[in-house]
Amino acid sequence: MNNALADPRVIIAVGVGAVLVALMVPPLWMLMQDSVTTTDAFGDITGFTLQHFQKLVIEKRALISLWNSLLFAAGSTVLSLLTGGILAWLVERTNAPLKVLAYLVAIISMGTPYVLHVIAWLFLLGKVGPLNDLWRQMTGETGVLFNVNSMAGMILIEGFLWSPLVFLLLGSTFRNANADMEEAARMSGASVLDTLRRISLPLAMPSLLALALFVFIRAIGGFEVPALVGMPGRIYVLTTDVYESTVTVPPDLGHAAAFSIVMVAIVAVLLAFYGRLSRNAERYHSITGKGFRPRPFDLGRGRWIAGGLIVLNFVVVLLLPLLTLGWMSLLPFLRSISLAGMASLTLKNYRAVFTAHGYVDLAINSLLVAAGSATAIMAITALAGWIAGRNGPGGRILDQLATLSLVFPGICLGVAVMEVWLRVPLPIYGTLWIIGIAYVIRYMPFGMRYVYSAVLQLHRELEEAASVAGAGTMTTLRRIVAPLLTPALVAGWLFIFLIANKELAIAVLLASPHSQVIAVAIFDQWVNGQGGELAAFGLIWTVLMTIIATVFFVFTRRGGVDVYGN
Amino acid sequence: MRAIVVALLLMTHAVWGAEFDPALVDGARKEGTATWYTGLIVNQAARPLAEAFQARFPGIKLSYARASNTETTLKILNEGRAGRTAADVFDVTSGIYVLLDAHVVAAYPPHSAAHFAPEYKDKDGYWTASNLYFMTLCYNTNLIKPADAPKTFEDLASPRWAGKIAWTSELAITGPPGFIGNVLTTMGQDAGMAYLRRFAALKPAALPISPRAVMDQVISGEYAIGMQIYNHHAAISAAVGAPVDWVKLEPLIGLFSLMGVLKDAPHPNAARLFVEYVMSDEGQKVLADNDYLPSSPTVPPRIPGLRPDGGGFKVNYISPLMARDELPKWTAIYQEIFR
Repeated sequence: MNNALADPRVIIAVGVGAVLVALMVPPLWMLMQDSVTTTDAFGDITGFTLQHFQKLVIEKRALISLWNSLLFAAGSTVLSLLTGGILAWLVERTNAPLKVLAYLVAIISMGTPYVLHVIAWLFLLGKVGPLNDLWRQMTGETGVLFNVNSMAGMILIEGFLWSPLVFLLLGSTFRNANADMEEAARMSGASVLDTLRRISLPLAMPSLLALALFVFIRAIGGFEVPALVGMPGRIYVLTTDVYESTVTVPPDLGHAAAFSIVMVAIVAVLLAFYGRLSRNAERYHSITGKGFRPRPFDLGRGRWIAGGLIVLNFVVVLLLPLLTLGWMSLLPFLRSISLAGMASLTLKNYRAVFTAHGYVDLAINSLLVAAGSATAIMAITALAGWIAGRNGPGGRILDQLATLSLVFPGICLGVAVMEVWLRVPLPIYGTLWIIGIAYVIRYMPFGMRYVYSAVLQLHRELEEAASVAGAGTMTTLRRIVAPLLTPALVAGWLFIFLIANKELAIAVLLASPHSQVIAVAIFDQWVNGQGGELAAFGLIWTVLMTIIATVFFVFTRRGGVDVYGN
Repeated sequence: MRAIVVALLLMTHAVWGAEFDPALVDGARKEGTATWYTGLIVNQAARPLAEAFQARFPGIKLSYARASNTETTLKILNEGRAGRTAADVFDVTSGIYVLLDAHVVAAYPPHSAAHFAPEYKDKDGYWTASNLYFMTLCYNTNLIKPADAPKTFEDLASPRWAGKIAWTSELAITGPPGFIGNVLTTMGQDAGMAYLRRFAALKPAALPISPRAVMDQVISGEYAIGMQIYNHHAAISAAVGAPVDWVKLEPLIGLFSLMGVLKDAPHPNAARLFVEYVMSDEGQKVLADNDYLPSSPTVPPRIPGLRPDGGGFKVNYISPLMARDELPKWTAIYQEIFR
């Protein structure tokens, strides 16, 4: 072969690699530096210190936060796996009725900002919410049945937040599993439960474990629930500790950075496990070339119980929160659901949303920054994923660079990116760009997964044929690879677009009054006590995002790409 | 005819224009816009002020962004660090010393505040008080009978209120550290700490929301008692029928909303004009009409009982200097015994 420099892939690899290094390394470096230095009021470094880490070890508070984080993440993982998993199995592998409701929950949840869900749940389960209200009326007690500002409340709400995603991901596992073994078990006389226990579950176990780790990692970095549900009950986790030390005056960035480093380390270890698990999971894939549309289990009379569970999930995870938001949006001030409240219903909040032009700017900002970062990510990962998938020059390094940011919980990335751009003398801080950059860093791994797995599914011979026919690397890329990757690129784009509009943690420290995005604005309005307008705007936004989520869902189903590029 | 027009113009000028320096107005018009970082509640004060200002000076757009004192301070500091000051004018309470120490504030003693009491103005002109705040306790009148509401610190520490009290989690004078400071300066170090430990045992809920939103939670019945809330907020809500009232938990904490112009303000003239406007009788009247407590001696509040002179209550004023010396200590006490 001719020398390496003549290979256009080397140039591409170096170029993409440089971009990835520039994006991924500075935030990590900044966290490490902040965690071992002292700074003055202006953030200038004044000396080296280990006191931030010392404080983590000697202060009881830090250990409590760590323990709470682990408990919170573990609890919500178990809950979401149970609810989402049972639902996925019922929908994909049985003849349960009303399956469409389960999809409806998943799709609408995909488009709703987490913080909106959390606010609805806070009201539902709050002291004057309908649950406690009903209990008081039935028992004549004056207290509460359930205190939402507790670890149990946090786990419950976080579990509900993740269960739709678990449903989608496990759904594809159950759908794609070969039914032959289950059929064989049934024919040998095993009952539905036996088959489930001895065949289906063991087969799905590696995927289940990998998914559990995935949810655990995301929950440990979760911010919305710990901030809105946990803090009032004085339950702090690592993310809220990082947030609080960043928003005190003067900010204790060293403390925040040291905490962040601890979280990054925990997540890195978990990710190493996750990598091994998901590699193992592939070995359990029982897809063959045969038509493998599995025969659904006949649940007999149990069908209707299953249908009831699906309806229950629909009501609890979707309908109740939406109705709650509807109630909040129609009230002049927040009050419990009652006849007296009915009398004061008003459309004032909706009028405010449609007439105040701030809301339009806000929506445009959010759409712009989400679309921009999704486009940038797919452009970078299209090249990086192709080189990595083909074991091209530096492929492994590119893959690792692009997925490096998985170690950052959102709030830590927010701190790190803020620190980077406060020091770089470019006009980025305080603009939408800094949020866009943080999104690109944060969601790069998702883009990479979409492209990488799509590349693995393309047989090399197409590219070889192009090469034999005289096409150069660039021509092959443009005329063969790019068209074939398009479904994955579009799916990845839509997925990133949707989650970028959902999450609060990354942008909460980066948004400024002139560069607001949806999730932060909703959080701010909650903080400032404008619950009614927030609910009205949130509902309108949810409708818009649901349309996009539906497109995503239909597209991935048709294009044979699954959520997260599985 | 022409004489009448001229006379009318002169009269309008005499009534409306005389207070504001025409050169300043001109400069502000040329800039066309200003950005205000504020802690004032949007629908109660910030929006009315901004709208009145824009109506008074057509062609100057005033955009505002409401955040907590802490957040406003951090945003200004960070923008200064990044060399990208976006705000022109701001208001915070006693936490202003952080901004003064960072040298990001410009001296600008507004002419319209010339007749203000000396304690409402910085001697070097770095800040001027636009309005007064008195922080105390509020309670839900459906849940607690007025006779049962806690009237003293001692009443408040009663175990019967365990789990029923909420306050903001903001670590500022307007949040728990302010209350801690009030108790310590009133009772002395030892008795104060003993009291605080008893109060902490009631586990007040620290809500990550503004004092205004804390009061909304009290109104909705989530909590029976709200601590560290503004007495005029309670009056505003009670006036529209919300089940809430405030108590003279003496001494109340006295604070000023301090307004200043940023040194690197991109629109310095518009910023100064806005400060002039807010301190003028016109601006002060907008605040008074919305039941805020003006600092101008020539604009009386609508509800005199909200002020110590009219309401007959004792106040412990916490100045920026005091906050500079004590706030870190009070915050540390909060972290130690309330979390």
